[in-house]
Formats: sequence, structure tokens, C-alpha cells
Amino acid sequence: MSEFIQLLLSGLSSGSIYALAAVGFTLLWQASQTINFAQGEFVMIPAFFVLALSVKLGFPVWLAMPLAIILSVLILGALFKRLIVEPMHKHGTIPLVIATIALGILLKEMVKEFYSPLGQPFPSLFPQDVFSIGGAAISIPDIANFTIAMGTIVALQLFLSRTRTGRSMQATAQNPDVAEILGVDIKRMVMYTFLINGALAAIASILITPVYLAKFSNGEVLGLVAFIAAIVGGFNQIRGALVGGLLLGVVDNFSAAYFSSEYRQALPMILLIVIILVRPQGLLGTSEGRTV
Amino acid sequence: MLELKNLFGGYGKITILNGTTFKIPEASITTVIGPNGAGKSTVFKAIFGLLNIHSGEILLNGENVVGLTPKQLINKGVTYVPQGRNVVPQLSVYHNLELGGITADDQSRVKARIEQVMDQFPMLRKFRDRKAIELSGGQQKQLEVARALLLDPKLILIDEPSIGLSPNLVAEVFRTLQALRDQGVTILMVEQNAKAALAMSDYGLVLELGQTRMHDRADVLLADPKVGHLFLGGHIEEDAPA
Repeated sequence: MSEFIQLLLSGLSSGSIYALAAVGFTLLWQASQTINFAQGEFVMIPAFFVLALSVKLGFPVWLAMPLAIILSVLILGALFKRLIVEPMHKHGTIPLVIATIALGILLKEMVKEFYSPLGQPFPSLFPQDVFSIGGAAISIPDIANFTIAMGTIVALQLFLSRTRTGRSMQATAQNPDVAEILGVDIKRMVMYTFLINGALAAIASILITPVYLAKFSNGEVLGLVAFIAAIVGGFNQIRGALVGGLLLGVVDNFSAAYFSSEYRQALPMILLIVIILVRPQGLLGTSEGRTV
Repeated sequence: MLELKNLFGGYGKITILNGTTFKIPEASITTVIGPNGAGKSTVFKAIFGLLNIHSGEILLNGENVVGLTPKQLINKGVTYVPQGRNVVPQLSVYHNLELGGITADDQSRVKARIEQVMDQFPMLRKFRDRKAIELSGGQQKQLEVARALLLDPKLILIDEPSIGLSPNLVAEVFRTLQALRDQGVTILMVEQNAKAALAMSDYGLVLELGQTRMHDRADVLLADPKVGHLFLGGHIEEDAPA
């Protein structure tokens, strides 16, 4: 039982970080029909911003991290939209998808070439202590990661539902024609979505990289997991991406412990196939969530 | 109030409006009728800044508004209710209404106006926290009309308000429009149900191939056999005095 709780908690912890990436993925799709296959690299890169700022430029880590989030918002948010999404979007969804795949490869290779092909140690925000409750060993980073990731998603959800700007973003995503005739600045709302995705990716990066070390190839698994989490949960819902992310984290942990660590990587795929066969709209999705 | 002068425009390189010209007076209801593809809805999009205008002028109280964005036009008192369903499905009725005032600087006034339109349309108050998608088609249309009224528009462009509504609701929408006209609002409407629409309008305008073919008092058009023959399904001889 204590092992079960342990696995559940650490699964929820990594799952909540997957959820951050998956929520961003879903937001981009909703707001601008951008399927961002560079999302994994978007989570890989901010860790290197932190390292470049702290190790190479000598900023203290506490300053490097917020600066890295700002850089991510600007580069992975605004610049990504201006330089890649806007020019490619008019050619359709598929050319844009291919462009994001190319971007992912470019980012990965750039890190390998210009920073290092080796895994770099990455500072953790939290003490690595473990405490025990009822025999279950609970690590402080797990609890902290889960709290921060969930807090971020809840804050985002509140922003989208409780503020006029958030509701204008929802209107833009759900019915852009109507948003436009009501005078919503839809271009700006779409831009906000990209900025938010940049921030979510950066937070995910800072939380997850201490576990994996900072490595150019980190995005390969993360991007796939974000994609699968978004599909499993329901492509058109933030809640869906959240549930998908958490589910994937927990399934991953349990399968490694109780089933087979060799097949660990295959299980998310199996989950994806089952969901697509049985419930193609995803666990929480609606088949016609978008009104065009 | 609103004047179109020799307006040419369309989608991309396709021209739909071929020199559309007409003028509608303040505090009146004008119904635009014409066969499919005549450019009725396109005229609305042109006025509301959603179309490529190739040449010509759109004068709003004497000022050329070609090239203005929907937001700028809203701030000049124009509002547009397109055909079909135009609610934000997952937002509540209240928040859909709020979006009708999203361009306003004074949001406390928007709040007060939401209360007023909910008084005017009690159904909306009853369902204020429901998602818009959960309303019936007729209720959604009422929500759209109410939302369009939020900023006290001076000119309402309303496209096919009767589609999908029961005769009762159509009559109610028409009564609402007439009451607005009596308060000084100018209304330009496209309506499939041409006879009923002309019967409640002050003026009628026949559009064909993007050009104004006839423009007269609504009762004159209703009585004109040509109009009946062309656009009212040829029933004018039996149904209305020729």
C-alpha cells in the first residue's frame, strides 16, 4: 500500500508537469489550429536558457529562472508566432505542422551543437529530502512540483474564466468570427495564447529538468507525452489535457513498477491507441468542441 | 444616416458588389431583398469592415468609413448580427452579453446595460448562468439580438433574424426592432421571409448582382407585381393587391 501511494504521488508529480506541456499544446490548437510538434523542444530549451544565464553569464539561479521564463515567453511565444506560425498558417495546417517538426529538429541540433551534447546538471528549486507518511516515502520535489504545476494550471483556468481578457480569449478560440464582429482584438488574443504557452513550457522545463538533467534530446519524450496527453484527455479542453497529463504520469509509474520497465515507453502508445479506438474525442473532449 | 456610393468589393479577386448605391434615413427600418447570390449579406460585411472594398464610399453620417475595423465601427454605433448561430458556445449567457460591450471603456456602464437588456429579455435573466450552447436556437437568437443592443447602437445590421425561429419569436424580434426604430435606431435587415419583413419595414431595397435594382417605401414594393414575381415566389397575384 505504501508503495502504491509512493508511486501514485510521484506519478502525479511528473504527470502534472506533462499536463503543463499538454495544456499549452491544447491552447495553441484551440486558439490558432497550430499543432506544435516542437512542444517537447519548447520544454527542453528553457532549461538551457537558465544554464546559459547562470553558468555562462554568471547570473544567480534565482534570477536566471525568471529571466529564462521571460525569454521563453518572448522567443517560444512571440517570435515563434511571428516568424513561423503567421507566415505558414496561410498555407494550411499541414505545412505548419511540418514547419514545427523542422523547428523541433533545429532547436535540438542547435543545443547539441552550440551548448553540449552531454546531459548537464540542473539546479533544483527544492531540497531533495524525503519524508515518510505511513511508510510511504514522499519526496519534497514531488510535492512541490505537483503543487506548482497544478497551481499554474488552476491560475490559468481562473484567468480564462474570471477575467474579461480570458473570456475574450475563449471567445476567440470558440468562435473567432463572432469574436471579431464583437470587436475583440482576435490577433492580440491569439498572441496571448502563444505567450502563455511559452511561459507554461518554461515552468515545465524548470520543474522537470532536475529529474532528467538538461539534455538536447529531452524534448523527444516530452513532446510525445504532451501530444498523447492532449489526445487522451480530449484535444479541445484544458481540463482534458490536465487529466491526460496526470493519467499518463501515473500509468507510466505504475507500469514501470508493476508491469515491465521494458514496456514502459510503449504503454502511453497503447493508451493512445485504445482511446482513439474507443473514445476518439478523448476522455473529456466533445466531438464538436470547436465551432467554426 | 448611411449611404453607399458606387461600392465595388468582394472576396479576394471575386467581385460581388458591382457599384452598390443606396441611402437609408435615420430611425427607419429598411429590408434588403433579392435572389440568392445578390450580395445581400455581402453588403453587410462591406459596411462592417469585413470585406475587401475595391472602390466606392460608405458614408456613415457623412463620414467615409471604408477601411475601418469592426471595433472602430462598433465605437461609431454600428452593430452587426450575422445570420446563423453566433453565440460563444461555452460561455454563459451573461458573459456572452458582456462580450457585446467588450469594446467599451466604461465597464460599469456595460454591467448596467446587461441588467437592462435582461429586463427587456427576461428569458436571458432566467438562464444567465447557463452556457449559451444549452439554449434553444430561438433563445440563442434572442441572446444575439440582446448582445447587439448592449452598447446602444445607432445602426443595426441584422441578417436573416427569422431563420430557425418560431412565428411567435419572429414577431417578437420584429416588434423589438420596431421599438428600437421608434427610439431613433436605424435598422438595415436582410430577410428571406421578404413579405413579412417588408410588412414591418419602412423601406425596401431590391438587390440583384450586387446592384440596387429598386428602392422604395416598403408598402410600394409590397404592392409591386414585379417584386412579387421576382422575389416572393410569384404568389403576389394571389396574396397581395397588385
